[in-house]
Amino acid sequence: MSGHDSKYFSTTKKGEIPELKEELNSQYKDKRKDAVKKVIAAMTVGKDVSSLFTDVVNCMQTENLELKKLVYLYLINYAKSQPDLAILAVNTFVKDSQDPNPLIRALAVRTMGCIRVDKITEYLCDPLQRCLKDDDPYVRKTAAICVAKLYDINAELVEDRGFLDALKDLISDNNPMVVANAVAALAEIQEHSSKPVFEITSHTLSKLLTALNECTEWGQVFILDALSKYKAVDAREAENIVERVTPRLQHANCAVVLSAVKMILLQMELITSTDVVRNLCKKMAPPLVTLLSAEPEIQYVALRNINLIVQKRPTILAHEIKVFFCKYNDPIYVKMEKLEIMIKLASDRNIDQVLLEFKEYATEVDVDFVRKAVRAIGRCAIKLERAAERCISVLLELIKIKVNYVVQEAIIVIKDIFRRYPNTYESIIATLCESLDTLDEPEAKASMIWIIGEYAERIDNADELLESFLESFPEEPAQVQLQLLTATVKLFLKKPTEGPQQMIQVVLNNATVETDNPDLRDRAYIYWRLLSTDPEAAKDVVLAEKPVISDDSNQLDPSLLDELLANIATLSSVYHKPPDAFVTRVKTIQKTEEEEYPDVSESYSESPAHAAAPGASSPATTSNVPSSAGRPQPAAPAPVPDLLDLMGMDNSSAIVAADPITPTGPPLPVVLPAATSQGLQINAQMIRRDGQIFYSMVFENNSQVPLDGFMIQFNKNTFGLAAGGPLQVPQLQPGTSASVLLPMVLFQNISPGPPSSLLQVAVKNNQQPVWYYNDKISLSALFAEDGRMERTTFLETWKSLPDSNEISKEFPTFVLSSIEATLDRLAAHNMFFIAKRKHSNQEVLYLSAKIPRGIPFLIELTAAIGVPGLKCAIKTPSPEMAPLFFEAVETLLHN
Amino acid sequence: MISQFFVLSQRGDNIVFRDYRGDVQKGSAEIFFRKVKFWKEDGKEEAPPVFNLDGVNYFHVKVVGLLFVATTRTNLSPSLALELLQRIARVIKDYLGVLNEESLRKNFVLVYELLDEVIDFGYVQTTSTEVLKSYVFNEPIVVDAARLPTLGPAALFMQGNKRMPGTAVTKSVVANEPGGRKREEIFVDIIEKISVTFSSSGYVLTSEIDGTIQMKSYLTGNPEIRLALNDDLYIGRGSVPHYGYSGSSGAGAVILDDCNFHESVHMDNFDVDRTMSLVPPDGEFPVMNYRITQEFKPPFTVNTLIEEAGSLKAEVILKIRAEFPSSITANTILVEMPLPTYTTRVNFDLERGIVGQNADFKESQKKLEWSIKKIVGGSEHTLRAKLNFSQELHGNITKEAGPVSLTFTIPMYNPSRLQVKYLQIAKKTKTANPYRWVRYVTQANSYVARI
Repeated sequence: MSGHDSKYFSTTKKGEIPELKEELNSQYKDKRKDAVKKVIAAMTVGKDVSSLFTDVVNCMQTENLELKKLVYLYLINYAKSQPDLAILAVNTFVKDSQDPNPLIRALAVRTMGCIRVDKITEYLCDPLQRCLKDDDPYVRKTAAICVAKLYDINAELVEDRGFLDALKDLISDNNPMVVANAVAALAEIQEHSSKPVFEITSHTLSKLLTALNECTEWGQVFILDALSKYKAVDAREAENIVERVTPRLQHANCAVVLSAVKMILLQMELITSTDVVRNLCKKMAPPLVTLLSAEPEIQYVALRNINLIVQKRPTILAHEIKVFFCKYNDPIYVKMEKLEIMIKLASDRNIDQVLLEFKEYATEVDVDFVRKAVRAIGRCAIKLERAAERCISVLLELIKIKVNYVVQEAIIVIKDIFRRYPNTYESIIATLCESLDTLDEPEAKASMIWIIGEYAERIDNADELLESFLESFPEEPAQVQLQLLTATVKLFLKKPTEGPQQMIQVVLNNATVETDNPDLRDRAYIYWRLLSTDPEAAKDVVLAEKPVISDDSNQLDPSLLDELLANIATLSSVYHKPPDAFVTRVKTIQKTEEEEYPDVSESYSESPAHAAAPGASSPATTSNVPSSAGRPQPAAPAPVPDLLDLMGMDNSSAIVAADPITPTGPPLPVVLPAATSQGLQINAQMIRRDGQIFYSMVFENNSQVPLDGFMIQFNKNTFGLAAGGPLQVPQLQPGTSASVLLPMVLFQNISPGPPSSLLQVAVKNNQQPVWYYNDKISLSALFAEDGRMERTTFLETWKSLPDSNEISKEFPTFVLSSIEATLDRLAAHNMFFIAKRKHSNQEVLYLSAKIPRGIPFLIELTAAIGVPGLKCAIKTPSPEMAPLFFEAVETLLHN
Repeated sequence: MISQFFVLSQRGDNIVFRDYRGDVQKGSAEIFFRKVKFWKEDGKEEAPPVFNLDGVNYFHVKVVGLLFVATTRTNLSPSLALELLQRIARVIKDYLGVLNEESLRKNFVLVYELLDEVIDFGYVQTTSTEVLKSYVFNEPIVVDAARLPTLGPAALFMQGNKRMPGTAVTKSVVANEPGGRKREEIFVDIIEKISVTFSSSGYVLTSEIDGTIQMKSYLTGNPEIRLALNDDLYIGRGSVPHYGYSGSSGAGAVILDDCNFHESVHMDNFDVDRTMSLVPPDGEFPVMNYRITQEFKPPFTVNTLIEEAGSLKAEVILKIRAEFPSSITANTILVEMPLPTYTTRVNFDLERGIVGQNADFKESQKKLEWSIKKIVGGSEHTLRAKLNFSQELHGNITKEAGPVSLTFTIPMYNPSRLQVKYLQIAKKTKTANPYRWVRYVTQANSYVARI
């Protein structure tokens, strides 16, 4: 404390704090009240008034509610910094919690719950217990929330003192406000607990649906959100729920409406009658549209949600496209979202109307909005084949206005239109070339250069046009340089005359010697080699036909879309990200194992969809896509082996996980026989080691040539398994073999649909075509090390899962010879023994296992020793996984 | 659940700050303000109402120039948070009479008391002024309303309309009148915001009415109220019986595309005789929101003519015609039209003899602005403007100018023809009949004529 502080307080004679102290101890009530107000005022502007703690607490014993509330407000703020003094308040708190006035009782527990000081918390339990059973609903509803507060401070205390049961009882309370708060508190506790705390049974469901009608609007939101976690048993129940929820769509509170929409959408998944579904869609449309009449902030949230809804169920708003037309006074964030939805709803039927709108938007003043409108026209052209011509003529009209950024944006989308409809609209190239000199943005420049290169044979002065760009080659951004390089090579291959030949030398020189951009240099070297060794091969590679593109930009992956739809009316649906991507609150639940894997660098960027479709990954196509941002894909074939060094550069920094020693254990099954694949044989199997999943592989070269440059790619699969690093196989001389342990990561590319053990794999090397084979994912490789369940948890979980989740299977040929040996074998694969009992002559074993995302399996094995036949019954929240599970168990038992 | 709630002034000053859960850092208000202020480097683009920054989610709405903000770390319902922020603003307005920085600062103790009852541990408890009255004990300190702008639709009635009791809607629902006697009165406002887009040839491309029946009650004893609407009112475009629907504008039924009601409204007789009954809670609240896309007669038609006059000049003629009865007057009409970016100078030729008319060229925004204080129904007004350019025209000037947009307010007029047929107050006391104010007003939302 330096002299500065005293100066700060020297405005009055005594200083502010001593003066307040005096007033707080005044004998007059009014004076004390005013003093506390002044203290609070000082507190809210950030002044430290903690030194007045004792004096303020002295004012606490008063009948005046106004004053009491002020003191409590002060306590909440400063109790933490003065824990010892806070004890002074405990007596009054406890006394207040028994006050005849219900407001004071409620105020006492509410405030105690906010003071996160252990000593206060100890004294909270008894008053809380009383208040949960208070006669007054205001006290009960306050106490319900207070349980959540206590759980946040000390979860064990809540469980030990039986507050959870008390809270569950409140679900049946006759006051809907109390019910709503109890639901909110239970939902929060459930989120932080690994145990089943708040399971919605059909009984609670009907209770809550009844409470829904009487609740306040906010309570309705709590209840709807809690109920959205309930999975209806069958279509009938789903219809029932929907019928009870539908009236909420008429509510004036948009939070209620959106939560009701979420609920209805979820239940609709189960409803089989198309009539009912159609009817529901009809009912949902008007309220959704009405949300767009609310404040712009709400409109934004509604639009982000509608964006998801129309992706799943386009029919709901198919006829409402007009309501998404932009108003001139909409904030920009609303306009942008409306555009996105207009593109989604555009169809052959309404495209003329839509184009008219887009054209109008493209002449507005806001640059970002104008750009997006131009891009929207292009996306409609790509989406609607029959309207493409009309879209293009609108784009040409816009180019003629010669507004710089409109022209550039138009050229970018026209490049995509060319990719979508090759050899159809090239007649417009001449018009595009007129705007050449106005281009100053990299993406537009790159697009234009791509167009020139791609259609060099139809543009008479293509060489002049490209040459004009070449002068500034060293200064151009990488994106433009790459396109210039490729376009020049194309030009040379198409018109191998003197001019282009000189140009190509300049470019290659520039791109190899003068640059330090490895992507550019690699691509230039590849071209150089190609051109110098085999110009015909170069033609095959560079001028190969490109796959036609489609408009999948802004289209979400189906599995992500489903996850987001389940999260309608939450932040997740606004960000279009799954909740775990942004919710940072630390949870008490143990981390699921997949989170523990290190992030693996994405050095192998070829999309798995490509690898799985034969031919699509033909290397020539990749380097020509102007939109692929910079990095050339390491897939070009290299006829000259030493080029491999160049190719390897991309991967050199990635994690190496090769294992030179042959993995122990039984020999791996053959997945790719040598006979079908020009002498290359692959044996492989998914295994688990030290909590990590590996793909154990052996490569055997039975061909006549050395093989190298091995790469691997996995197609979308149920668990989203993908390579966690590059495949590191040394050069394989004829007659030799190499084994490799490839680390695997989960949840990369999840295939939609029912779970399947199918794993489609593509393997390539530099000498042979791409080989495809099917392998099986053994669920046993996914069983987690932490899958052991406590006995009690096992029992509770077993009971809490509905009987419909129990599935069993007989293994008639298996003979149980030794319980110990079987259990050991299972334990080695993370199936954990929990208990056993005897039932007549049969042994009944209970085990547990867990697969990623924390899905447990509760297992019951029944068999008689020495007698063939074993019955395996399981219960799991994900019964659809059962076939995979049985497959895995069968393999484990028979091994 | 909500972690913090705060109100910031336009300059970013913390006016109110309440932490409910302690899981978001204290400096969040400043972090938020800096992010919103500099959303994009050029400062042009507005921040969206919901965003995530370093794991904290921020929600905000703007109310009379103040920023109402909530934060959370959980996957909360954003519509809940945003709706709540609006409601908190409304509750505070109900209590303080006027919502602005000064009234908030003067009444911070009351505001904190309100906030403690509205939200507990991040969970919304109630936003009903009526319910809150039984838990809140501080008295508001009323600030002088006359010189302050007010919140929400009430502000519509402040502009040059002598029939409206100007200060009534800015008084607190809890504070007593200076004389100690409370005036018995109830306000029912039918507010319609209309959006119309005209094509370049003058046809209506899209039109829409967003309507609200807003109520504010100062009645003692909370008597029940019956409100009757048009007999020929239909809800849902598919619900109209064919024989009764002529299909054209003019005669025929009022057809609402969709509507929703306040939770206090009882609809038992609505299907029979289009009446609603309710016990209005204290404070301002929407009885009913509705949306209409049925054709209606736009109150103004706009005619724009642009002609090139030489290579560096052009002439614009704007004509607007009031298509409503002459007994009605529109207020504060503003016509705006963006001009080509290379416009350097504009000379105006205004009609003579019209009071409160003004035309201006906003050079920085390259926009023409023409304002007229009042327009009587049936009249027509014309503006001629000569434009000078710094460069030659590319050809199509209509692509680089326009569209023309209008903003206006028309009291005692509503294009939907939705009406409050009667407003019945169940009498409980012997006092004189309470004052009943049923007011209509139409406002332009997005009223645009393309050229």
